[in-house]
Amino acid sequence: MVATASYWVSVRTGDEVKRNSWRLQGRWAFIIQAASVFAVFGCLYFALYNHYFEYKYVWRNSSRDLPVSLLLSSFWSDQEGSFMLWSIWQSILGLVLIRTTKRWEAPVMTMISFAQVCLSSMLIGIFILDYKVGSNPFLLLRHAAENQGLPWVNSPNYLNFIKDGNGLNLSLQNYWMVIHPPVLFLGFASTVVPFAFAFAGLWTREYKEWIKPALPWALFSAAALGLGIMMGAAWAYESLTFGGYWAWDPVENASLVPWLTLVAGIHTLLAFKSSGHALKATFFFFFITFILILYSTFLTRSGVLGDTSVHSFTDLGMSGQLTFFLFAFIPAFGMLIARRKEIPTVHKEESTYSREFWLFIGSLILMIAAIQITFTTSIPVWNKLINNLGIKKLLNLTNDIAPPSDGVFHYNKIQIWVAIVIGILSAIVQFLKYKDTPRGEFTRKLMIPTALALIATVLSGWLGKVNYDTYGAGFLMAIYLMMFASYYAIIANLAYIWIGQKGKLKAAGASVAHIGFGMVLLGIVITSSKKETISIDRMKMLDGGFFGANSKENPRENLMLPRNFPVQMGDYHVTYAGDSLPAGESKTYYLVRYERKDPTSGKTLEAFTLHPDAFLSNKGEQTLTPNPDSKHYWNKDIFTYITAVPLKEDDSDTATYQPHVVAQGDSIFFSNGYMVMEGLDPQPANRNYQAEPNDLAVGATLKVYTKNNDQYNLKPIYLIRDSSYEYNIPDTVAPLSLYVRFSKILPKDKKVELEVKESTVFRDYIVMKAFIFPFINVLWIGVIVTVIGFIMSMFQRLRQNKEKPAVKKPLTKERAV
Amino acid sequence: MKKSNIVLLVLIAVAIGVIVTVAGDFSTYETFATARQKEGKEFQVIGTLDTTKTMVYDAAKDANLFTFYVKDKSGDVCKVIYFGTKPTDFEKAESVVLTGKMIKDGEFHCGKILMKCPSKYKNDQVAVGNKV
Repeated sequence: MVATASYWVSVRTGDEVKRNSWRLQGRWAFIIQAASVFAVFGCLYFALYNHYFEYKYVWRNSSRDLPVSLLLSSFWSDQEGSFMLWSIWQSILGLVLIRTTKRWEAPVMTMISFAQVCLSSMLIGIFILDYKVGSNPFLLLRHAAENQGLPWVNSPNYLNFIKDGNGLNLSLQNYWMVIHPPVLFLGFASTVVPFAFAFAGLWTREYKEWIKPALPWALFSAAALGLGIMMGAAWAYESLTFGGYWAWDPVENASLVPWLTLVAGIHTLLAFKSSGHALKATFFFFFITFILILYSTFLTRSGVLGDTSVHSFTDLGMSGQLTFFLFAFIPAFGMLIARRKEIPTVHKEESTYSREFWLFIGSLILMIAAIQITFTTSIPVWNKLINNLGIKKLLNLTNDIAPPSDGVFHYNKIQIWVAIVIGILSAIVQFLKYKDTPRGEFTRKLMIPTALALIATVLSGWLGKVNYDTYGAGFLMAIYLMMFASYYAIIANLAYIWIGQKGKLKAAGASVAHIGFGMVLLGIVITSSKKETISIDRMKMLDGGFFGANSKENPRENLMLPRNFPVQMGDYHVTYAGDSLPAGESKTYYLVRYERKDPTSGKTLEAFTLHPDAFLSNKGEQTLTPNPDSKHYWNKDIFTYITAVPLKEDDSDTATYQPHVVAQGDSIFFSNGYMVMEGLDPQPANRNYQAEPNDLAVGATLKVYTKNNDQYNLKPIYLIRDSSYEYNIPDTVAPLSLYVRFSKILPKDKKVELEVKESTVFRDYIVMKAFIFPFINVLWIGVIVTVIGFIMSMFQRLRQNKEKPAVKKPLTKERAV
Repeated sequence: MKKSNIVLLVLIAVAIGVIVTVAGDFSTYETFATARQKEGKEFQVIGTLDTTKTMVYDAAKDANLFTFYVKDKSGDVCKVIYFGTKPTDFEKAESVVLTGKMIKDGEFHCGKILMKCPSKYKNDQVAVGNKV
């Protein structure tokens, strides 16, 4: 298998020169390399499937008890596997390109092959001049650097000692991790195609012709990358516990930024196609997209994000190589600058009423968004640069730069304005025509959508009570503007399908994508501004908590639920009803029962049970790795996850029984309330007491009132059996850890002695958080609609390319994305 | 001057403005001593867990209160109060980044903890925090 790897390294150097025979040779070389990549993929999967733990990759990322459905997840859970996934997609894309590009095959494939060389160099794991190039996924465990010199390595039967693998990281044991990486890496891999086309155009000096075949690819790439990113968001929402779908984590940002620039590139490309403007910008955007993909790879895989990101890879000692990979593609910019004079431009100025002008503006705004995100995300890189270049000493700085302490708001306060402008632009720009638009027609067509969007905003602001004031009135204003912009984008684009395209859905890919995008924006603004924490711990609030000085920094979002003890949470009464450990699974499921009651009649309006779960142990150690569970409504999600459970180790119960002498009607106080002795029962019944013929038994009827107005009945029993033996049978209120024992009868005083114990260690509870995410479905549907829109316009472009293969002049009846 | 050039200039100005505001949000990693000098201001402190002192989390008493001690880079040990549950594997954290502020009685109140956990092969990081 190592041979396969090295063979494939030697094969894919097949470089295409424009001659036909060379092209043919390159083509076959690429096909062979693609076949090799598939073979290698098959081998690694086979090794994983059969638990060949002699391979370090298999040992490290899987274990015998891992379900087969998650094997793929462990395949790409680590650096080598995910590079391989990338390489596979790139091979497939390359094969498709070989079939379809015709004239462009040679220059485009040169670029793809070169990218493939770089990628596979990440996997060879050989030493060139003492520098480790790549990391081989088929490294044997006994050859791994950290195991050198260990005694078992030289033993021939060492495999007998390795019974099981290290296991897959618990947070990756999720079905989203099986499907999200392939889609994301398809997006990553496909960005090389517009790059390759743009480069080919520049290289062969056919500055305009590359555009047509590149457009469907760019649309495809945007769809795949966008879907991949949002699937990551869905994974985070479904299985991680940072309480949302987006946290502006550096890893998320790093893949969002190329998507922004790619979308910008698509729009400048359209502007160029119909007006001749903005060609240089198109080159720039397609180049920068791929470079940013590489940069994001560098960020996530070089370990540089260590201090700031939650889920980046650690350094495999390949950061040098990653940097090389990154810089290998930058000369494309050099070529762009060198040949800038040759790139045709139109010297006539755009009209302010032309579509191309605003397409260009929109792209630039996306660019600004990209710059801001990159700038903040790159803080660790800045630190490295500052340290290495000696600037730190120069400026006498002592401490490293830290990311903003309120990271989410830091991004939100900038990006909300970008979202507003982009939302509004995507609403109106379609109504502009290329070159120039008659003023009257433009305003007339836009009037109704504008009015409708305004009404929708006011209505949802009023009915939905959007009053998110954590960051002041200015930010609330921006929220309303963003809401307007998103409604505007949705409504105006819907209108455009009817007004501009006379309801021809086939040609409406662009409008559909914009509607989807508007829905995504709307979903974001509603879920973020109306997200509500319902698991507020109100019990501790009176002692200065809720209205006290630290109410802001201590939001009391965790709520403790004793078992079988209903607690009010928002509109719901929530009960923790126990846990279960299904056979064959390593997760513990917690039953959390939600009930909503009519406040006047007390009738149960709705009841459901959520099953948030958690891995309670990881490799034999006590930990808690929770997964949330949500109740999905059409208009909101109730999102619940466990944040703490009692540790199972046994502390001794130090509480003791305290005696109380009481008469009928007396009460006994304890920490959570009091109990009243209501009377004695000569024929007591208790689930722990079996009456026998010669028993002389008395029960004490007690009523327990808690601080939360809950009531319980207790009946401890005192008995004399066979006229000589004293017994007592205690009774308990489990949720309160309250134990009561009937110890003596004092007939002289007409009193009895009761002993009360409150256990201090109290073991049966969960601590959880619960949120309401309103209208989160708008976001998910928006994503799907956007992707459908991209794919529709991709097919539309493909059709156009087929219909008019030789049209050189810009199409007159052009439709924009 | 062409209109597009003007637009370009305006946008570049906006971009620079954005970056300047953004850079204003950046902070630096500090020590408890600095935080003590400016009580009530939010800082990010890197330190290690002081394992000689006890950490307390009792959900039955308060599910949103976790106290522990942290030794910062200069060796200064300070009591830290985190308003939340005790994070998973907290004892094993190699280093922690605390975001919060010093209050009067010399306690550091933090709303966010970023932990760096050593594991044999992966430096998995776990972030916990309250979105305030």
